[in-house]
Amino acid sequence: MLIERKWKKWAYFYLPMALFILFTLFPFYWMAVTAFRPDPELYRTWRQPNAAPLWTLQPTMEHVIGLLKTTAFPTWLWNTMAIAIVSTGISLVCGTFAGYALARLRFRGSEFLGTAIFITYLVPQTLLFIPLADIVRDLHLGNTPWALMLTYPTFLIPFCTWLLMGYFKTIPKELEECARIDGATRFGAMVRIIFPVAIPGILSAGIFAFTLSWNEFIYALVFMASADQKTVPVGVVSELIRGDIFFWGQLMAGALLGSVPVALVYSFFVEYYVTGMTGSVKG
Amino acid sequence: MSEAIAVTGRRERVSRLTRLLESEKVLAVALLLPGVVILITFIAYPFVMALWFSLTSIRVGDAGQYVGLANFTKAIDDTIFQQAFKNTVFYTFWATIFKLALGMWLALLLNRHFRFKRIVRASMLLPFIIPTVLSAFAWRWMFDPTFSVMNWALYHGGMITDRLPFLSSGDWAMWCAVVVNTWRGMPFFAITLLAGLQTISPDLHEAAALDGANAWNRFWHVTWPLLLPVTLVVVVFSVIQTFSDFQLIYVLTGGGPANSTHLIATYAYQIGVGSGLLGEGAALSLFMFPVLFAVVWVQLRYLKRMENA
Amino acid sequence: MAGILAAHRAPVFAQANTVHILRWNDFVPAADKVLREVFAPEVQKALGIKLNVETVNANDIPARATSSIQSGNGPDIIMLLNNYPHLYSSAAVDVSAIADEVGKAQGGIYDANAQLNRVGGKWVSMPWSVVPALIVYRKSWFDEVGAKTFPKTWQEYHEVGKKLKAAKRPIGQTLGNTFGDAPTFTYPFLWSYGGQEVDAKGKVVIDSKGTVDSVRFMAQFWKDAHDEGGLAWDDSNNNRAFLSGDISASLNGASIYVAALNGADKFKTEKGAPLHTDCLHAPLPAGPSGAHAYHTAFNHMVMKYSKNAKGAIEFLRWAHRKENYEKWFTVQKGFAVGPTKSWEDHAMWKQDPVMAPFRTAPQAQKRLMGYAGQPNQKAAEAWNKYIVTVMYAQACSGKMKPEESVKWAAGELGKIYTGT
Repeated sequence: MLIERKWKKWAYFYLPMALFILFTLFPFYWMAVTAFRPDPELYRTWRQPNAAPLWTLQPTMEHVIGLLKTTAFPTWLWNTMAIAIVSTGISLVCGTFAGYALARLRFRGSEFLGTAIFITYLVPQTLLFIPLADIVRDLHLGNTPWALMLTYPTFLIPFCTWLLMGYFKTIPKELEECARIDGATRFGAMVRIIFPVAIPGILSAGIFAFTLSWNEFIYALVFMASADQKTVPVGVVSELIRGDIFFWGQLMAGALLGSVPVALVYSFFVEYYVTGMTGSVKG
Repeated sequence: MSEAIAVTGRRERVSRLTRLLESEKVLAVALLLPGVVILITFIAYPFVMALWFSLTSIRVGDAGQYVGLANFTKAIDDTIFQQAFKNTVFYTFWATIFKLALGMWLALLLNRHFRFKRIVRASMLLPFIIPTVLSAFAWRWMFDPTFSVMNWALYHGGMITDRLPFLSSGDWAMWCAVVVNTWRGMPFFAITLLAGLQTISPDLHEAAALDGANAWNRFWHVTWPLLLPVTLVVVVFSVIQTFSDFQLIYVLTGGGPANSTHLIATYAYQIGVGSGLLGEGAALSLFMFPVLFAVVWVQLRYLKRMENA
Repeated sequence: MAGILAAHRAPVFAQANTVHILRWNDFVPAADKVLREVFAPEVQKALGIKLNVETVNANDIPARATSSIQSGNGPDIIMLLNNYPHLYSSAAVDVSAIADEVGKAQGGIYDANAQLNRVGGKWVSMPWSVVPALIVYRKSWFDEVGAKTFPKTWQEYHEVGKKLKAAKRPIGQTLGNTFGDAPTFTYPFLWSYGGQEVDAKGKVVIDSKGTVDSVRFMAQFWKDAHDEGGLAWDDSNNNRAFLSGDISASLNGASIYVAALNGADKFKTEKGAPLHTDCLHAPLPAGPSGAHAYHTAFNHMVMKYSKNAKGAIEFLRWAHRKENYEKWFTVQKGFAVGPTKSWEDHAMWKQDPVMAPFRTAPQAQKRLMGYAGQPNQKAAEAWNKYIVTVMYAQACSGKMKPEESVKWAAGELGKIYTGT
């Protein structure tokens, strides 16, 4: 009996889990090996007998150092952080307000507005970036972080609104009504009673928005001009891909280092993220 | 004396504002205003401009003239665009199915208690966290014809004698793109579905088990129906993202080999920016919109029906 | 008095005079260093111009150029490849003055470059350099299969290639969607068989016996002699493959050889000698219609929206002066050559006989994309859609038969050349 159960556990849990972990994390392992691998080893083809893509016996820091010293990578990290934080902030404020309004207030056109906000999510960025370049210029935002801080919310707000709408809908109306009976204003009740309850949802939307901002490429490519204004994805791609010459070591180092800040944020908040999503999907 | 009047005056003003905000309508407007302003300025307005571009022969530096639907008919005739459209549908369809299946499976696994649960859960999110262009580069090199670590592994494992044409063949390359997209998106599905799973009371499962249902039946008859709303929502967002995907193919294959892995977004970019034909590029991009709209509309109606039921 | 006036003028002049130039990440990184560490301080001293050098991945330049032109705000000088000047000509400042000056002082600008930079009788951009593409090959390997000199015709090359591939040393060529090595092979290949995209009047004539023959030959040549992974290669794959000893020959700029030179301790032959000692260069072989070449032109356009077009032109004029340009030129070691004939006589060429074929390479370029029509917007569209390259790739991968592929290309070109 016990043996059978153990076998089942292995087959149905441990083995699939191991495969998932392998599939998900293998590329990261590989990136790490590449980032610390000396250049001559990087040139061995797959057929060569001494090719050993999975490990290296002579790890070197030269790529990481090269990345940090010869490119503006630290600046890109800083830029991306700042832009992600501000865009997330703006989107959360707008999204929370809008989500509350659409979920809890009754007014004409609320359904239309909800759908309209959602529809904007469907407009692809490859379509918008040319006209947006004009607008960014007219507002004198070109090559400043504000160009991104104001345009990223366009794809963050719809999602945040929707997520928080769902979350607000699950909060019982009684909470507010009690507060208002006790003399609180509508606005006060919203801010002091409802928002704190929705914190997991807000956090979860925030984390998601943060990830999406970090990940954006085309607007950053087009609106940011000088090397010291670029974000990590654009900087790494445009300055480390020198075509013929092998910069894979630095590229992979950049890829890993570029994910560290977001990974840190997640490691602190992943439990909130899960509970946040839980709340919103209950509705 | 004057102090008291001043205080009363302030209280009067404050209460005027709060009184205004008591009205649902006014509060709603105030709350929605910032978001709506941003969306109108940076999406609605440029969208209308892009619509106008698609109806003209505009190219870089030259405003062109009104040409009606000529850009659209040219696109429909374009064999490369037809391929790109097919690719986009193929890519979205298969990637979504895999992400859903694997995400669901992973969510079920993560829903149990085991040692290192927190670490595993957190690390599962890594593919979602790393910027797409960077992970796509890593994958591209893993598939590289000359240096592929996959070929190395399979070769030394005795399973192949000559390398696999991961990115050199159009068909293979599309499947590789599906794999990379699945790798990237599966964590998002898993974590969201996990959240949904955690709202299902274990009592339901116990009751079903007591009634004699096995694991698969329990899943299909208890878990799946309860998860349907979450699933639908996650699928809607994933479909939107995948259908309008640009970065992954741009980095992985550039649209090649022989224009065979283009997606609508990458092809629109190549025409609009690469050749400077902005009007045609805008028209190509706009083809995405009705399809997305239709997909989303169907799912939203379904969701609404379920909500009302 | 004059001194005071001069002192008052200089600082104001220096403050406002910034020139932002956007170029590609040079495949020879030392050249970018020259721009930043030599040109920038020197032009500041000489003309009071503050030079801001920005380099990006070449593939991203069109996106930046498009958005800059559309929004009226961006770099003062943008480097444009091939016939992009034709695409953006309406956003350009007339630079005929510099072109005439430099041409006269340096023995004349190459014809092909002149065609690429002139629209409607004016120079819309200033040719900066040419990166010739030649075949780099492993001398010892070719010797081993009996080819003491590089094959002069495609048939010969095919025979040699067959033997090389049998010895697991195939030829490497990209037929992927990449801006450098793919069209620089497929266009001259097409021409060497007598094929061409359009005639002088703009009528699509690619569906000809010459073209079909060339595609049929290429499909066979591909299977017999090439690394078939080349269908997915970009511009860097052949470099890596060659430097790893995976392929025996490839069409490329000199960057492979230069990398081997600079990394003599990293890149070795299978016998342990530095790889660069086993490398030689040769032009593309000839087909029934002769031998042709396509070399990538690099041009600088001064943008109309620029607020400092004057400074930009001053900078270019200064940069093209012999004593300044030569600093950039020598560090290239022949990877990029000057746009004018006088640079063929420079002393640098004596340093390395392996680079000698690059010296006069630009002279071999008699045709441009869109031949026999103009290298204009339509030609640029065809180029950007990789129609000619895809025509060969489809046949080589077996996706289409040669005749079908040619018909496909004719159809695609037809849409471009008869549209508005």
